[in-house]
Amino acid sequence: MTVPTEAYVALSAALFAIGAMGVLIRRSAILVFLSVELMLNAGNLALVAYARHWAGFDALAGLSGQTVVFIVLAVAAAEVAVGLGILVAIFRDRSSTDVDALSGVRL
Amino acid sequence: MATFTVLAVVMVVGALGVVLLRQPVHAALALVGTLLALAVTYVTLEAHFLAAIQVIVYAGAIMVLFLFVLMLLNVQRSIGPQRSLPGLRWAAYATAVVLATAVALVAFWDGRPAPDPAVVSLHLQGGSAAGIADVLFGELLLAFHLVGVLLLTGVVGAVALVQRHDGSAHGAPKAGGPLPAPEGPVGSGRGRKRGALAGGRRS
Repeated sequence: MTVPTEAYVALSAALFAIGAMGVLIRRSAILVFLSVELMLNAGNLALVAYARHWAGFDALAGLSGQTVVFIVLAVAAAEVAVGLGILVAIFRDRSSTDVDALSGVRL
Repeated sequence: MATFTVLAVVMVVGALGVVLLRQPVHAALALVGTLLALAVTYVTLEAHFLAAIQVIVYAGAIMVLFLFVLMLLNVQRSIGPQRSLPGLRWAAYATAVVLATAVALVAFWDGRPAPDPAVVSLHLQGGSAAGIADVLFGELLLAFHLVGVLLLTGVVGAVALVQRHDGSAHGAPKAGGPLPAPEGPVGSGRGRKRGALAGGRRS
């Protein structure tokens, strides 16, 4: 039997919520970043699940969903490169990546 | 259904490990496990090409980059999940529970019958690279071009970010304020830096 789409969406929601929890309770910026990656992947899972769902009605809709996941992967790769560059620069500047201490760009 | 249950358990446990483990390297490895389980989930959703890309790009390249930076920064005994803000931890747990239950409830509320597997696999062609390429170079061509520009910008930005600006502080974290603008033209600064690298380092 096929697993219903709702189960995948519920799993995606759980992963996203855990990632959001990690962003809130982690102190090291690099671990906050890991949690953000988890949230991105939760969104990807929902996209793939919906792609399979809508592929039952329309081939283009299903393939579009999977292609968008592909693009999200590329954007995530660029984001990781820039984000880790920023982290290394911050670490060089103050020898710590504690996000509580990073209030320099606050309005 | 059994496959999905096993995968879901693995992924949720891995995600909790990412959030709660104390050692940063352990957290990163837990995320690798979660991403690999996610790749298997993609296979069950008829997205074979995406599963391969997930393993190669995410669990391979991106996580290796993460581990590399973790080892480079050497963030030791880094900090269990606790913070100076009081009560934030419990607020975070509550946020997670409410968020997950809300989305899951909405999903099941509007539950629709699962699509016919035969039609799905006919339309998706098993999530092959050919099917994805048809859309990527057709409807989403503009997004494809924009992603190319974005990747180039990201590479240039990352290289520019990790470059050292001052010739004086090599290796050790500098004592001055953030981003001290180097005086004089850039060329002379470069020359100074290179001279320091060639002469002063070897002594």
